[in-house]
Amino acid sequence: MAALRTAHPAVLRGALRLYIRAPGPPASAVGLRRVSDAAPQDQTGVPSESTEEYKFVERLVPPSRVPAPPPRAGPSPSGWTPPADAPPPLAYTVRRSRMHNIPVYTDTTHGSRRTTLVRKVEGDIWALERDVKQHLKEVMGTEPPTQVNEVTMTLKVKGHVDSELKEWLASKGF
Amino acid sequence: MSFPKKTASKALGILQNLPRISLANLRPEPGAKKAETRRGRGQHGGNRSGRGHKGERQRGTRPRLGFVGGQTPFYLAIPKYGYNEGHSRRPQYQPLSLRRLQYLIDLGRVDPTHPVDLTQLVNARGVTVQPLKRDYGVQLVDEGADIFSAKINIEVQRASEGAVAAIERNGGVITTSFYDPISLGILIKPVPFFLRGQPIPKRIRGYLADPEKIQQARLALALKYGYTLPDISKDELYHMLSMRKDVRQIFFGLAPGWVVSMPEKKILKPTDEKLLKYYRS
Repeated sequence: MAALRTAHPAVLRGALRLYIRAPGPPASAVGLRRVSDAAPQDQTGVPSESTEEYKFVERLVPPSRVPAPPPRAGPSPSGWTPPADAPPPLAYTVRRSRMHNIPVYTDTTHGSRRTTLVRKVEGDIWALERDVKQHLKEVMGTEPPTQVNEVTMTLKVKGHVDSELKEWLASKGF
Repeated sequence: MSFPKKTASKALGILQNLPRISLANLRPEPGAKKAETRRGRGQHGGNRSGRGHKGERQRGTRPRLGFVGGQTPFYLAIPKYGYNEGHSRRPQYQPLSLRRLQYLIDLGRVDPTHPVDLTQLVNARGVTVQPLKRDYGVQLVDEGADIFSAKINIEVQRASEGAVAAIERNGGVITTSFYDPISLGILIKPVPFFLRGQPIPKRIRGYLADPEKIQQARLALALKYGYTLPDISKDELYHMLSMRKDVRQIFFGLAPGWVVSMPEKKILKPTDEKLLKYYRS
């Protein structure tokens, strides 16, 4: 254990060095007096206080809000695309989710019933439905059945077409 | 461009002009309520009441589940084997793919300019670790190694060889460390621990590697995976990349034995010799 301990001298960075160097209160000659008899400022074992290392504690506190993504132009290495600065000049808009992603989700019911849902639509949802049908016809060859829900402003499409729709919406600038 | 919703205002307008709602003018939507089947009544519910014709089915004396008429049943014929023996004592490591890590960095949830720790990953809501379900930490999986391109100083509990190669190829630093369950619980939720008012405990140390052999292993890995090992010492972030926790340390910058007081924003350090000797050992 001692050999392993001395084997990494450079590893003992950070707090332990500061901790060893931290000045404690002057150890007064208490002698044989009981700790309770001593005046408060004479007691040994009173912890020393410091506020310098509190910045390390602040780094550990979890953020309560979703951070804004750093600005970039074009897709990131993981495939995430930021929305366009100016909203595209269309009759509808598809807002980003809380986590800054495109709100297209897939669902599978009864084991084999596959649907894709486009949420957070605003404006003329029927125009979006027409454009989605036309785009999927170009990409997939068939026009899948769709369902528009005007109350929740969502569009449901038959089949798992989330990757095509996400790519198309990102290219539009949503 | 904002699109004001018109459906809600129309409904409100209709509601304002309707008469008062009472029990007399409420009715369920047609087709919402289906009448229940009453057995023993009428042409379809009566006669045998859905029990079939004679035998154990109608008389309700069928044997227990798994009984096959006297032949040794399947669940007794197959011999026992300890596939799941001790399953609740096996350590589990939550997987984290490099693709997800790159996504977290791109969205700004994980800060690559500071050392990335399990606390940082949990704060970014990138992984969920449950120490009470025998989770001993997080493991790096090499799915997405081809798209990974971030230079980070990351500390995980386990990492696959491909993941280590991907991180070192981009000039980053990866360390594996052991956290016992209590230390892990403190690491993932530091704020509730600080509010308890207890001193930060010493982490129970795991196995330690020889630093010279680490450098040799890095070179061997670079040869195996076919990339040139970038020189970290010439990097501008060298100080950040070389930050490592001490074996007994749980948090960066905070030593065992300290008490953190969050309401007063202070740290209390022990001065008694016996305590100092204990926490330094």
